[in-house]
Amino acid sequence: MSTLRHPDLQARFCDAMLAVQQAARPGETTTGWLSAEVSDFVRFNRGRVRQAGTVAKASIELRLIHHGRQASFTQTLSGLAADDRLRIAAAFDELRHIVGDSEPDPHLAVSEVSVCRSTRLSSRLPDPAEVCDVVCSAAGDADLVGFYAGGPLACGFASSLGHSMWHEALPWFLDYCICAGGDKAVKVTFAEPEWRPEAVAESIARARREALLLLRPAKVLAPGDYRAWLNPAALADLVGMMNWGGFSASALMSGHSPLARLKTDSDRFHERVCVCDDLAGAGVPQFQSDGFERPGRLDLIDGGRFAAALVSPRSAREFSLPDTGATAHEVAQALSLAGGDLADDDAMAALGTGVAVSNFWYLNWSDRAAGRLTGMTRFASLWVENGEPVAPLSVMRFDDSLFRLLGTQLEALGRSVHRIPDTQTYDSRSFGLTSAPGALLAGLNLTL
Amino acid sequence: MAPVDAAVLAISRPPGVDLSVRIVRERSRSLAVLRGVVQPDTVAEDAGAMVCAWWGHGVGYAATADLSREGLQAAADRAIEWARQVDRHGLFDGLALPRPTARAVVRGETVQRPLAARRDLIEQLREEAAALRRDPRIVHWASTVQLSRVSQLQFFNAELVSDESFSYVVPNLEATAASEGRSQTRTLGGQYNGFCMQGGDEVIDLSGLRGGGARIGREALELLDAPNCPSGRRSLLLAPDQMLLQIHESIGHPLELDRILGDERNFAGTSFVSLDMFGRYQYGSTLLNVSFDPTPAGEFASYGVDDEGAPAARVPLIERGVLQRPLGSALSAARATAAGFPVASTANARASGWHRPPIDRMANINIEPGESSMDRMIRDTEHGVLMRTNVSWSIDDSRNKFQFGCEWGQLIENGELGAVVRNPNYRGVSATFWRSLAAVGSADEQQWLGTPYCGKGEPGQVVRVGHAAPPCLFHDVDVFGAEQ
Repeated sequence: MSTLRHPDLQARFCDAMLAVQQAARPGETTTGWLSAEVSDFVRFNRGRVRQAGTVAKASIELRLIHHGRQASFTQTLSGLAADDRLRIAAAFDELRHIVGDSEPDPHLAVSEVSVCRSTRLSSRLPDPAEVCDVVCSAAGDADLVGFYAGGPLACGFASSLGHSMWHEALPWFLDYCICAGGDKAVKVTFAEPEWRPEAVAESIARARREALLLLRPAKVLAPGDYRAWLNPAALADLVGMMNWGGFSASALMSGHSPLARLKTDSDRFHERVCVCDDLAGAGVPQFQSDGFERPGRLDLIDGGRFAAALVSPRSAREFSLPDTGATAHEVAQALSLAGGDLADDDAMAALGTGVAVSNFWYLNWSDRAAGRLTGMTRFASLWVENGEPVAPLSVMRFDDSLFRLLGTQLEALGRSVHRIPDTQTYDSRSFGLTSAPGALLAGLNLTL
Repeated sequence: MAPVDAAVLAISRPPGVDLSVRIVRERSRSLAVLRGVVQPDTVAEDAGAMVCAWWGHGVGYAATADLSREGLQAAADRAIEWARQVDRHGLFDGLALPRPTARAVVRGETVQRPLAARRDLIEQLREEAAALRRDPRIVHWASTVQLSRVSQLQFFNAELVSDESFSYVVPNLEATAASEGRSQTRTLGGQYNGFCMQGGDEVIDLSGLRGGGARIGREALELLDAPNCPSGRRSLLLAPDQMLLQIHESIGHPLELDRILGDERNFAGTSFVSLDMFGRYQYGSTLLNVSFDPTPAGEFASYGVDDEGAPAARVPLIERGVLQRPLGSALSAARATAAGFPVASTANARASGWHRPPIDRMANINIEPGESSMDRMIRDTEHGVLMRTNVSWSIDDSRNKFQFGCEWGQLIENGELGAVVRNPNYRGVSATFWRSLAAVGSADEQQWLGTPYCGKGEPGQVVRVGHAAPPCLFHDVDVFGAEQ
């Protein structure tokens, strides 16, 4: 059967995982972290298909540990069992030479507690032809530009110590815009457990209706402080910036964390700000590449104060900290910001006059150590007068402190918490998502 | 004949279908000494094939790491299915879709001197790491080198299009100083590896890594003690390691033709440049000359043939400040031409690997040298600031309103270089910023830099790009410092 159609990744790669477990010679520990996907990708532009294809890719990060020394070798797998066994054996042979030439690693970490678990989440994926039919038909004469990605996605860990962990799902998303000219567009990230063509068509129809407001002349603002309502997607962008080293133990210890002030309690967010890494709620794998299990939920910010860092087993050894089962990069995969008490339907009235930001774009730190960041408004950001959206906003740059935005300027958080799937597909698709409500701010500093 | 070549030649295709196969093999290795500890070696080996099929007015693709005859045939069959779908729903009705035109182009690595053995490289990294931390206020220090060797074979209907090999070297040093709640980072090539070239051991020498640790550590401490960059409108002198980012974000991306055609509006964004601007739009002052040049041996994104089989050549993009050409592949140029705006292509269809389809990208986008010099530009500046080494970048989705930050700032007053300042930032608008270009350094001060991490596309792709630039002086720019 074609490797481009087979949906059962666990069956395809069980032999490779077994090869990792059996590779160790006396005194050695062998591990393997496998990532695999078969993805259909469809790009749309002007309501038509721009580019479409399928990618089958799997790679395994092999690690050899011997006498306190270690090295890793990431090898792409073909999906052919015999071929992959040969590749894995050759990689371990090379690792033996490298490790023999290495020195002891004082921060070496691997879980000594072997765990066996397997999670397979089912859902209904569409036939790719159906994706093209449904989206193009629903777009009609609208200028729809967007991207569908779907297919089996898996990761697993095996070791000579007896680990055997697997997580597999069939996620998909349709991330699209209905463009209203220039840079104005209604942006939607649509994902459900089951593909339902009528729900997709309904989403596109709603976006087309919402895009009509964007045809009005854009409001041009002068720099200054403006009241603001951040849609959940915009607030998720801000919260996501905390994940750029904010919670990382390594970044906190080495002067790179934008949340250093929060950690030392020299600054705080509003007491309503509670952030956790909610792996269980998001269906994200609860194990990592050193074989450690990860908690289903870890509170990171509680009542506006720092609650816990993401500590990988390696950082735990380097900095003598208790580890929290974090990934090697110490990033949250399912950031979740708790909701507040403002009903979404009341948000515009509560805003009164100001900007309603649908999405931010290209956020970056303008002063990382101080938690100050800059970015642009994008897509269907609106100018609102007396609770009524009246015009699209000509894009504006903001430059402001995270501690101000989620501290002194935070008036309310929305009651509904929206789940926003991680649509990044650099190198591979992702399991992650961010959950966030909207936020009402007394002031957002627009600078250009 | 290698087995994989035989497998490519054996792929069958129905009448009316054209097929291309791009086989990419990459082997990379990272060596690092982080906070005094030699890190475990990481090696990666990757190989796979991208098969593209043309049928009617559609192109489809399928990528696989199964390079057997059966695996490649399955990918071809899948790509053909997609081509039929695209033909049915596609954007390209009535358009003659371009095919690969290069044949049998062979290009080898551009290595002047082989890299040192692993043990020697580790020893050099260890020495520089020690030199980075000669003060306890240095809380983070790292010396690294990333090495990659890539080979790429392209075929079209079983004919060889190209056979190219590349060797990439990315060295860096980094030191972070911290005290009293403040921290400052100084690097050799930027925190995102702006010093990157093709080559061998000579790249490590050119980077200044050998013997550079003491300077980087010292400068991190200087920044920690420096005052905040003042705010106001000043002249701005940008060193090449910030020019690279300025070129990248506010010339390279806005000229990408697929953005102008709207393909990227859902993700990377659109462009303030429109199809009617080519040949007449005053992009910058008359000192601004910019080229797309994938040919220099050693520059980071040089190649012989792009990933859709078009032969690469140098192309002027902006001449004496006037916009001339977009960065468009043969397909994008055909689309623009069909829309009533005839433009020539620039052989810039590129993919991040075998598992991604080509899209319009930058390769090397270079500022042509002028006649000034760093010393002269400083002498000619009454009230300004010198900024070195990018650290922060943000620009709107039309690539117009930007804000960039640097690691290192130094005030210029009355023609003299003065105090070091920390957290230097500046903001502007692409459409007007380049018109304030007042002087361009000469070829003697041009540096070949780039980034390994240019992100774009759906699915996402991170590619290597190169940017060569001398220092440049701009007048009347809004500069400012940071929070504390």
